[in-house]
Order: sequence, then C-alpha cells, then structure tokens
Amino acid sequence: MVTVDVMFLDAPYSGSVELSKDTIRYLQDQKFKRVGLYASVQFVNNLERVEKRLEELGIAAVTSRADRTHVKGQLLGCDNYHDSLRLEEDIDCYLYIGDGRFHPLALVYGQKDSTKMKEIVCNDPIQKKMTLMGIDDIKNILKKYRGSLMKFFTSKTVGILVTIKPGQEQLRPALELEKKYPDKRFYIFVDNVISFDQLENFNFIDVWVNTACPRVGFDDQEKFMRGVINLNDALLAQEVLSKDSVFNNLPSATRR
Amino acid sequence: MRLYSVEVEKAVERIRKIGAKTVCIQLPDGMKPYAKEIADAVEMETKARVLIWLGSNFGACDMPLGLNKMGIDLLISWGHNVFHKKEGW
Repeated sequence: MVTVDVMFLDAPYSGSVELSKDTIRYLQDQKFKRVGLYASVQFVNNLERVEKRLEELGIAAVTSRADRTHVKGQLLGCDNYHDSLRLEEDIDCYLYIGDGRFHPLALVYGQKDSTKMKEIVCNDPIQKKMTLMGIDDIKNILKKYRGSLMKFFTSKTVGILVTIKPGQEQLRPALELEKKYPDKRFYIFVDNVISFDQLENFNFIDVWVNTACPRVGFDDQEKFMRGVINLNDALLAQEVLSKDSVFNNLPSATRR
Repeated sequence: MRLYSVEVEKAVERIRKIGAKTVCIQLPDGMKPYAKEIADAVEMETKARVLIWLGSNFGACDMPLGLNKMGIDLLISWGHNVFHKKEGW
C-alpha cells in the first residue's frame, strides 16, 4: 500500500469553459433535447456557463457520479463498460467537455454491448471546436477484440495479467475465472506497469486476460500478438458474444 | 497564458502544514514539462527536497509504490482527484 500522505491537485483549465458555436449549431440541428453531460477533471468544476447555455437552448443536461469518481459529472478513462457511469436517465447523446480523445472514447467503448450507440458530441473549450465520436472510431479495434474473445472461448491455456498498483489490483476477482471455466488452465502474471515486451517470452499462453486498467484490453489490443480481453468480458464471454449488440453487428472494418 | 493551473501555493501550504522534508511530485505526461517550475518553486519556498516521479501517471489509480522506504513524506499528484477503487469490473 501507499503509506505516504497523498495530495491531489486537479490542475483546472485556466480559460473559460463554454460551448463552441459549432457545438451549439449541431445540438440544435439534431434537435437533441436531453444530453448526458460529462467532463474530465480539468473542466468538471467549471461547467456553469455550459449548463446555463444548454438551459437557454432548451436542452436538459443530465449526469451522474460514476463508480470511481469523486465528483458528479466527472468522466474517467476507465468508465468504459456499460454500467460504470450509473446514468439512470435516457439521453439523446453524450456531451463531453474537455480536450483529447482518451476520455470520450470511454463513452464509445462503454456502449459496445448496447443495441444502439448514442453519439458522443465532444466540445473542446481550448480549441473552441466540436468533434463527433461513434462506432467508426473503435470498430477496427472491436473487430480484433471480438476475435480475441472468441479465441478465449476455445483456448485451454490463458494468461491473467494482474498489476500490483493498489488502485488497479484485482487478484481476487481474477480468481473467479478459475471457478467459471474449470476446463481451462489459468496462469497468473504479476507486474507494475504491463511489460508488453515480455508477453511473447511466455509462449505457452494462448490468449491473455487483462485485469489492470480496463482500457488496456482496447487501447493496447495491437500490442498483444495472441490477443487480450478484459476481465469483465472474460467472465461473461458467452453472454457478450450472443447478445444483439453493436459489438456483434459491427460495420465492415476499414484500414486506418 | 498557461492552459492548466498548477496551484503550487496549495502544495507549499500542505508541505509546511505537515512539515514534510522530502516530497515526490507526480505529473501526467502533458504536465511533465511543468516539473521544473514546480520543483524550483517548492524548493525555494519550503525546506523540502523534491523528487520527480519519472514514470507513468495514468490516473489516480496509478500511485507509485515504495516511496515510504525512501523516507518520502508526501506524494503530490497533479491532474487527477480522489479515486474510489471498485473491486471487480
């Protein structure tokens, strides 16, 4: 465990957090009436102007406090599976306030098991512009991920990756795999930051299960020659593969 | 204008309050260039020695281990806030 005192500093964005003109135009053109409003930590405590503008536009903003966050409306990169957000209300789209792609991509991955995907409208207060995110941003990775999941289903020898970082360590939940799949032989590997360059040395492993950061299974899929899936999907492999979902009805893969 | 507020004064206040002698600062990749400014300011305004974490800082889930063995009193982590670990996912 970390036994030293720990202090977190949010590093809030210094500028004004507002909706850009193209965001407003898009929300109006699409006639969206209810948006799921989320932001990364640098922006989440400064959303007053965004909320006020949405109200003026007649758009309801709903949000939630996700499982592992401390602040309502904050989005973490690990909110990338269906129930981690704990959003109760139905929405027309997600509205993400922040920069970069890492956080809003969690909202795309989080919908992989849904029947239909809601669009993510990303409003970047720094660049003052809007981008859209949806299934096209992840379909190639999900194709590979789906292949890895099918491979897991038939594999006899599986490597489970467990990290020693206290915030991510999931040894006990990982052991559930042995109960769920008594016909498979699981080997458990321990590391601090996953050493991708070491994976191939353990050449007896057919496929890997990631229990560290839930983004590893997606963002780092291409670093695993033998494929990787996340713990939650490994535990529910049959259900995930048999659902009528975006994941099982992916559009044709394209070259990136 | 700097994009993100580093709020060094809050760090200095905490260091003084607990009388920390050795402090480790941890920054996400986008803020690592600020390490010089933070280390210089903290060492100038307090008597603490600053050590800079070289490695990853993917989130508040990603805390360095073993700092206490080096006599580090305080870890200050920028760009994240309190993380509630959930068993299983």
